[in-house]
Amino acid sequence: MHTQPLRGRCPIRAEVAQSPQGPRAPSGHRRWTGHRRQRPPRPRRRHSGSGCAAGAGGRDLTARPLPGPPRRVWQLPVGGGGGRGGGGGGGVRRAGSGMQPAQLGRAPRHLLVCERGHARHPRSRHAAHVRDHAYSCRVSFLIPECGLLPEVLKSTIADIGDYYLVRSLPIHELVAHEFIDAFVKKGSCYALTYKTKIDQDNTAALLPNGKLILSVDKDTYEELGLQGRPSRYSGKKVMRYIITIDLTDAGFHPESKKHNRVLWALKEKKPLEFDFLMAWYNTGAEGSTLMSYFSKHQIQALRPKITFSTLRDLPCPVLQSNDLQGKPEESCSTEELFEWLGAVLNQVSLDNKSSSFLSTYCCPEPNTVVEKAFLCTITGFIIPEKIIQLLEQLCCYFGEPKLAYWLTLTVHGFADSPVSWRESEHGFHKGGENLYNFVIFRNLDYWLQMAVGAHDDCPP
Amino acid sequence: MLGSTSMMLHHTSGISRKQPSFPPLMGYSAVALNHVIDFKEKKQEIIKPVPPSELFPSLPIVQGTSKRIKVLTRLTLVVSDPSHCNLLRSTSANIRLYDIIAVFPKTEKLFHIACTTLDVDLVCINVTEKLPFYFRRPPVNMAIDRGIYFELLYTPAIKDSTMRRYTISNAISLMQICKGKNIVISSAAERPLELRGPYDVANLGLLFGLSEGEAKAAVSTNCRATMLHGETRKSACGVVYTVKKPRKVEEEETAVPACKKAKTQA
Repeated sequence: MHTQPLRGRCPIRAEVAQSPQGPRAPSGHRRWTGHRRQRPPRPRRRHSGSGCAAGAGGRDLTARPLPGPPRRVWQLPVGGGGGRGGGGGGGVRRAGSGMQPAQLGRAPRHLLVCERGHARHPRSRHAAHVRDHAYSCRVSFLIPECGLLPEVLKSTIADIGDYYLVRSLPIHELVAHEFIDAFVKKGSCYALTYKTKIDQDNTAALLPNGKLILSVDKDTYEELGLQGRPSRYSGKKVMRYIITIDLTDAGFHPESKKHNRVLWALKEKKPLEFDFLMAWYNTGAEGSTLMSYFSKHQIQALRPKITFSTLRDLPCPVLQSNDLQGKPEESCSTEELFEWLGAVLNQVSLDNKSSSFLSTYCCPEPNTVVEKAFLCTITGFIIPEKIIQLLEQLCCYFGEPKLAYWLTLTVHGFADSPVSWRESEHGFHKGGENLYNFVIFRNLDYWLQMAVGAHDDCPP
Repeated sequence: MLGSTSMMLHHTSGISRKQPSFPPLMGYSAVALNHVIDFKEKKQEIIKPVPPSELFPSLPIVQGTSKRIKVLTRLTLVVSDPSHCNLLRSTSANIRLYDIIAVFPKTEKLFHIACTTLDVDLVCINVTEKLPFYFRRPPVNMAIDRGIYFELLYTPAIKDSTMRRYTISNAISLMQICKGKNIVISSAAERPLELRGPYDVANLGLLFGLSEGEAKAAVSTNCRATMLHGETRKSACGVVYTVKKPRKVEEEETAVPACKKAKTQA
């Protein structure tokens, strides 16, 4: 196994304790307060090759079991096991012994955080994790041993709601107080620039908590005149800056200096204009809709694309809900499940035929062959509130006795969004994946796997 | 604009209209069209570059964004004798019309001259044959200080396996001296099939000994720096730009002599 499970303090979190966003409110780590104790200083082992995003050289990889059952497992790639990074280059073969072979064989840094809990537990954080991940472009769920979707799920999917695409919207419209009072302060408003690449162009995003995040390149930052901080994934020569504007701040009222400065910068100094994907979840308050507010711009309402398919004779891994690591002959581990699920969702054939040149991947052992499985994929700009409703309905699926032992719900985030979870910065190195996956068992235990790519902070 | 830049596409006189569609489809946001001048052949004149607007009436949009691709012109001088460098020192009008100027030194002395004194943006490294000289630290460090970038090609590596070996070995010997700084990886593609996507080229940089960040910068940040370096050649010390202001055409009947004009304006 090329990854080493680490139980203990999250090494990435330890390195980024002084994050530029300021001290974080205690989050999922309050679970660990009983386990923290003064440890003697350990010799730091130097971790060669590509380090984590914070750039620190030493990472403590000594696994030390904590008292009590471990609930979270971080997977860090330690070395060897290449594959993802070195594929391109027009078929050029690896160089000879003059190179450092360890560097070539290493894939770009990626993290997989696995967590387990019970959906009906009062302190379960599954809804909180979903809400923290603001922008999702694809939701898919897989139910083994299911031929037809129950009516309740069908109506939940049909209820996903529309999202809007506004073309050529100047950004100062999002800072206007009419917009803030009508949409940002009432309910949750989500906006993300469309067709902008996070590592090349300027990008903007509006989070539901009222923060407008602008990720701009060096030239734009120097011309814009607003204060921001350099991007964490920018290297020595800073090429990217992040500007955060809190629209719901008490000091941001119409006559304040802050508001005037922001408006002047975005309207007159350097007018920025983007195509936005927008969605608004209002908590019952009646008022204007996005469609009527932006009627002067080119706005169109789009419906998420939904596809259903039934997979036949699918080998599914056997899982034990209380065992994240898996036992060799009894159940599969979370990483094996994650890889298998990725293969199934990408329609990779799992039979390892000798004539196939594309993939030699097989379903992990032990597995059972399932006669039919239902796969549904929803693509569009999907907001977390709808995903929570879908998750609830999937938990209720096991209300009646069913053949399936587990089902999965996978949510992919946008590769080009400036934030991944909460306000932690997201970058695109060679792949901008930030996704999470729920595995819900019959007894309503769940596994939550959160995966990020190279230029990303550890998920909460 | 900081996008992936493909620094070289060989310009052939019979350039087809379809060719500009491939780089933007792969994700490049800027492309440089190259003209090669080789002094070994008979006396060659530096011709005026054809402006991109004449070649491609409407530039295609880069895939995945909503911006148009930027097309630049570039000149490569293949020098094998110190007298060939005189062209760069003289302020020839045609040379100033090119956005980027690159030099391809064939001997160690010329490499030293190119790194230390010549007013160029790129120094090309030979990848098609064994290097006739070894790189030494002083000229390479001087070039890095002056903001000159070293260019490696990858298309010869696609065409032939012998050239692949030379490409990698020359690149590695350069990396050992310059430690991965100031590298630009470009194609010398004459056909669309020889182009590769920007992320693939960044992966190829890993084989040359660059780190992940340096390899990605070789296709994006360093190319942007080279373009800015070329732009500063048209300005005074990179600080002052001059732009020709269009002269208003005055009508004949209302022509007022200059002295009277000044009084009325005052």
